[in-house]
Amino acid sequence: MGFWVTTLIFLLAGFVASLFSLLCCNRGPSTNLFHLTLVITATVCCWMMWAIVYLAQLKPLINPILSGE
Amino acid sequence: MARGGGGGCCPPMDLMRSEAMQLVQVIIPTESAHLTVSYLGELGLLQLKDLNADKSPFQRTYAAQIKRCGEMARKLRFFKEQMSKAGISTSAQLTEISLDFDDLEIKLGELEAELAEVNANNEKLKRTYNELLEYSTVLQKAGEFFYSAQRSAAAQQREMEANQSGESSLESPLLEQDTLTDASKQVKLGSLSGLVPKEKAMAFERILFRATRGNIFLRQESVDEPVTDPVSGEKVAKNAFVIFYSGDRAKAKILKICDAFNANRYPFPEDVARQLHAVQEVSAKISELKATIDMGLAHRDNILKNIASEFENWNRLANKEKIIYHTLNMLSVDVTKKCLVGEGWSPVFATTQIQDALQRATLDSKSQVGSIFQVLNTTESPPTYFQTNKFTSAFQEIVDAYGIAKYQEANPGVFTIVTFPFLFAVMFGDWGHGICILVSTLYLIIREKKFASQKLGDIMEMMFGGRYVIIMMALFSIYTGLIYNEFFSVPFELFGKSAYACRDPSCGDAATEGLLKVRRTYPFGVDPVWHGSRSELPFLNSLKMKMSILLGVAQMNLGIVISYFNAKFFRNSVNVWYQFIPQLIFLNSLFGYLSMLIIIKWSTGAKADLYHTMIYMFLSPTDELGENQLFPGQKTVQLVLLLLALVSVPWMLIPKPFFLKMEHERRHQGQQYAMLQSTDDSVVAEMGHHNGSNHHEEFEFSEVFVHQLIHTIEFVLGAVSNTASYLRLWALSLAHSELSSVFYDKVLLLAFGYNNILIRIAGITIFICATVGVLLVMETLSAFLHALRLHWVEFQNKFYEGDGYKFAPFSFALISEEED
Repeated sequence: MGFWVTTLIFLLAGFVASLFSLLCCNRGPSTNLFHLTLVITATVCCWMMWAIVYLAQLKPLINPILSGE
Repeated sequence: MARGGGGGCCPPMDLMRSEAMQLVQVIIPTESAHLTVSYLGELGLLQLKDLNADKSPFQRTYAAQIKRCGEMARKLRFFKEQMSKAGISTSAQLTEISLDFDDLEIKLGELEAELAEVNANNEKLKRTYNELLEYSTVLQKAGEFFYSAQRSAAAQQREMEANQSGESSLESPLLEQDTLTDASKQVKLGSLSGLVPKEKAMAFERILFRATRGNIFLRQESVDEPVTDPVSGEKVAKNAFVIFYSGDRAKAKILKICDAFNANRYPFPEDVARQLHAVQEVSAKISELKATIDMGLAHRDNILKNIASEFENWNRLANKEKIIYHTLNMLSVDVTKKCLVGEGWSPVFATTQIQDALQRATLDSKSQVGSIFQVLNTTESPPTYFQTNKFTSAFQEIVDAYGIAKYQEANPGVFTIVTFPFLFAVMFGDWGHGICILVSTLYLIIREKKFASQKLGDIMEMMFGGRYVIIMMALFSIYTGLIYNEFFSVPFELFGKSAYACRDPSCGDAATEGLLKVRRTYPFGVDPVWHGSRSELPFLNSLKMKMSILLGVAQMNLGIVISYFNAKFFRNSVNVWYQFIPQLIFLNSLFGYLSMLIIIKWSTGAKADLYHTMIYMFLSPTDELGENQLFPGQKTVQLVLLLLALVSVPWMLIPKPFFLKMEHERRHQGQQYAMLQSTDDSVVAEMGHHNGSNHHEEFEFSEVFVHQLIHTIEFVLGAVSNTASYLRLWALSLAHSELSSVFYDKVLLLAFGYNNILIRIAGITIFICATVGVLLVMETLSAFLHALRLHWVEFQNKFYEGDGYKFAPFSFALISEEED
């Protein structure tokens, strides 16, 4: 459940960043598409990074064993 | 228009395709050619071909003008040398030049002649001055010992004559006559004075005695300070000497020996009154010459200062003229001798600008005939031109270093802007280190204007040129550092509490059985409890290896998808159906499936061994999976995927060569035009691509087949090795993390364990040096290189041919950059 909520957060962040680049750096359709591609690529990369680490810890097969002192 | 239209499948996007280019021809009247080329050079959007490549430099039209430019450059170099000798620096201000080429040539000639004359005059005056200084020294030194030497010489002379008289004493009647003879000889005693180099003084004296058989008297004395030699102009240690001799023959010998030993001779009056007069006269001359020399030097400095104020302008104008004439030599001369014809490449968008430049040149040169600009049709491959800005240029350089894109093929630079710093950060991730790099790079960006106008060292130049790449790397490193939960290797509970806790209140099992996951998954990044635990490495290694596979498969799929857009753009449906689709099937039926298994395993917490699952998928695909089963029907799915992978290999190998062969045969048999029009454009394009032109060249089926075989093998084997290559993401990340932990635990914590202020200061110092030297510098370079490799090989070889050539326009700005 937490996975889908955070994924939605990433989607919203990507959407806001796209709108931001459209509004603040509007320089014609060709450049706007370029900026949009950059934003989408960055969002996907960051989401993948987060999702991989999150899923890996979802149901761990090993437990953290503290160092005995 | 060289394939400028392309396929219409996708809307245009900046940097994705190189600019549309056209081959243009310019016909320029001779009288306005110079100004036209000048304006085109300032525009910088036309890459001219050399239409006279077969001619030697001296056969070219403007060889004489280039020689004149060379002569002017020589004069300017002469001026520069003179100015540096005089310690005068050129002013950096660049103003508009009102002088033209011919006037500049005349002016430079005049200035050179004047400067040469002034230098020659100064040289003469300086020599005379040095001679007078030597004369003054001789007068001073010789005067000190002249009279005592003269008396000694006279005594010696009389002694010799006495001996001679002794011999004649036998003839008593002639005694009175002998006395008269003595007086006569005494009157004939002569003298020479001057300076001789000290190092030659002994030899000088020895030779003189031998040559005159001891019939001279020589007196030498050292001069206290080195004397400036008139001939060489250098400081030389010298001796002042006086020689007394008798007879003209002895004098002649002495003169020759003085010349041989570089002994400068100066007249020395014997009379005391005349000596004083000579001293005064020489002093007056010295003062007068000194004033004259100073005036000469001031005059020369004045000339050089005037030159210095204009030097940069003249230098730039001379260089520009040379470039213009070199460029004019690339144009061919029309048979009527009235026009020059040039051909070159220009971006399509620059057509208006070039035409404006041509018109402006026509008006400014008052030519009665205008230049003609027309676009030529050609099958040549145009150069590749990407319009970049200060942010994107560094990323484009990274791609271009691997290979220049073929004309209008998809540019990996678009995705490299994000994926390159991202993959770097996957290896480098630590948000403390990321912040350090961010701060140092922000300094470069904030001081951008200042650094851009400076001369930086090699390393600094590279860092400044790549500052936007580095800041992207820093930002992504902060992000992945938060994911890895490492701040100089120290974890924090930034996003909530750890999901793990003890099994029971006593925490007795924490060091044996380990903690249990009792809460929801840590929401962002690695749970902080793993750091320092004994199972940290097994967990992180497993996590990061799987992460590497997932990221690698994603990027490789992106590359294959881009190859689809390339095929679509060039209307090459053979590449769509028989390259893109089987490649996609092969990669994803094996490694895409592996990625899916990874995700399923994580989601379900299954204990399946993916390694063995993949191995036995090939070795025994029909056996039961047993404990390695992750989902129902897995065996059937694996069988289907295996068959798909096996089918896709001949799919990408066999059809394409046969399609090319069929198309070649059809065209060769001269099918009717009606049928040709319906021919698939992609096959025609493919044929053109392979043969380099549409000429009727031989179609070697075996060559095409072998070529395709090599490509297929490369892709199939590459899929395996490239996936393994992405594991370097895990390896570099592990190395960075472990090094950081070692520095923190073994240096900083160890030092602070002692209750000694000096040890703690030493610990902090060592920690800082190790962090900066090893982690921020060496690790950054290492991760950079590995990210570079993953882009150049693993990503770009999926779609990128990179066999184009770069657009190199004729531009004064570019040329002046190269010369700096």
